[in-house]
Amino acid sequence: MEILSVENLYKSFDDNEVLHGISFKVREGEVVAVIGPSGSGKSTLLRCLNLLEKVDRGTVKVAGDTMVSTNDLGQVLYPPEGALKKIRLRLGMVFQNFNLFPHFSVMRNITEAPVIVGGKSQEEAEKTALELLEKMGLSDKANAYPYQLSGGQSQRVAIARALAMDPDILFFDEPTSALDPELTGEVLKVIRKLAAEQMTMVVVTHEMAFAQEVADRVIFMDKGQIIEEGDPGEILTNPSHERTKAFIKGLSDR
Amino acid sequence: MPYDWPGLINLILLLIDGTKIALKVFFLTLIFSLPLGLVTALGRMYGNRLIKGLMKFYILIMRGTPLILQLSFVYFAPYFLLPEGLRINFDRFVAAIIACSLNYAAYFAEIFRGGIESISQGQYEAAAVLGFSKRQTFMRIVLPQVVKRILPPVSNEIITLVKDTALVSTLGIAELYRLATGEASRVVSPIPFLIAGMIYLLWNWVVTEILLKAEKKLAYYK
Repeated sequence: MEILSVENLYKSFDDNEVLHGISFKVREGEVVAVIGPSGSGKSTLLRCLNLLEKVDRGTVKVAGDTMVSTNDLGQVLYPPEGALKKIRLRLGMVFQNFNLFPHFSVMRNITEAPVIVGGKSQEEAEKTALELLEKMGLSDKANAYPYQLSGGQSQRVAIARALAMDPDILFFDEPTSALDPELTGEVLKVIRKLAAEQMTMVVVTHEMAFAQEVADRVIFMDKGQIIEEGDPGEILTNPSHERTKAFIKGLSDR
Repeated sequence: MPYDWPGLINLILLLIDGTKIALKVFFLTLIFSLPLGLVTALGRMYGNRLIKGLMKFYILIMRGTPLILQLSFVYFAPYFLLPEGLRINFDRFVAAIIACSLNYAAYFAEIFRGGIESISQGQYEAAAVLGFSKRQTFMRIVLPQVVKRILPPVSNEIITLVKDTALVSTLGIAELYRLATGEASRVVSPIPFLIAGMIYLLWNWVVTEILLKAEKKLAYYK
């Protein structure tokens, strides 16, 4: 089943067109890695998909429900606030810089949204949080505060926080770019685990080896467009497009 | 020595009466100016152009002119500006509270604005993707962090306010400073000033300790 469908997405900041007609689909349980040079529009794409930015044109559907559409007059239509919020809750997001709430304990970072936004009881939310922390290998950190965590631990808490809302799809915006190489591994391990559990994920990443290993599909973006997409092995070892070749070669030359 | 022991005790009792009035000015000003400062900061940051402009103007006036002048203005202006028949006369104490509150709210507003603007965009974004409304984001995520960050500059203002209560004496309110002045000239002695000074100092020492405790209480996170 298709869980995300993106059609002809456009986004500009002032005169700078960042997304230039992006279309792709994500099936349930699929892991999609989005790669490409800096400034190719990868992060902006994620920000449009999780409603942090409004698109200029295009259609996005989440499990069949329209999140944004564009009519024949070119007007962008978002559903009313209530319907939009329901869709938003089905989308989880993990940021490059974690963005944990520093004044909340790890436990409360994870339970606050399920209780306040999702209407769960405190006990239920805490039970889920403990299960998630165990899965992240952080059972002993429930009462810690974010400043006491390493980068890798912070990012795993951020993943647990996103999962606590039980999203249909989880977006990652360069989840390991702010981490030392040795801490990168522990975050990738968790994402691998989620992939094995058939969690639907779209991961913007610079970790090519990881993309090749975990992703079901790789999308290569450049200058606001999808240059090519397909099997990770194919794209990363034997790309058909010149620009992809140059990008992959540039990486291996480093 | 113009004071014998009973005289000294009477002087202290008199100055304590004045301290009570000064304390009233202090607490009432805080109670009104802190929320007003927050509303002003929010209007200055998120209001439409008219509100933003008004708040900026209000802050400019309040920070740009002497509090002692504002006190006199609030007290006398209604009488001179309103047509005969409508002339109301503020109670001098009410006028003092209005002027002090308006003045301190302007300073607090700028401190709050600085604090709110120091919270990273990432906090708002993390809250947004989790489904928090704007209001929930402000009350639960932003404001608690702002309180911690602005406590030191707010403490500065609160300590200044303790001393600024003396300014309401210009409206003829019988608070600590005015009573001390009166006694000093009556008895021709500096002792009333000395005792009043000790009372202000003691008062600010207590205030400082309380504010430091509050800072410590919020030190559980970084």
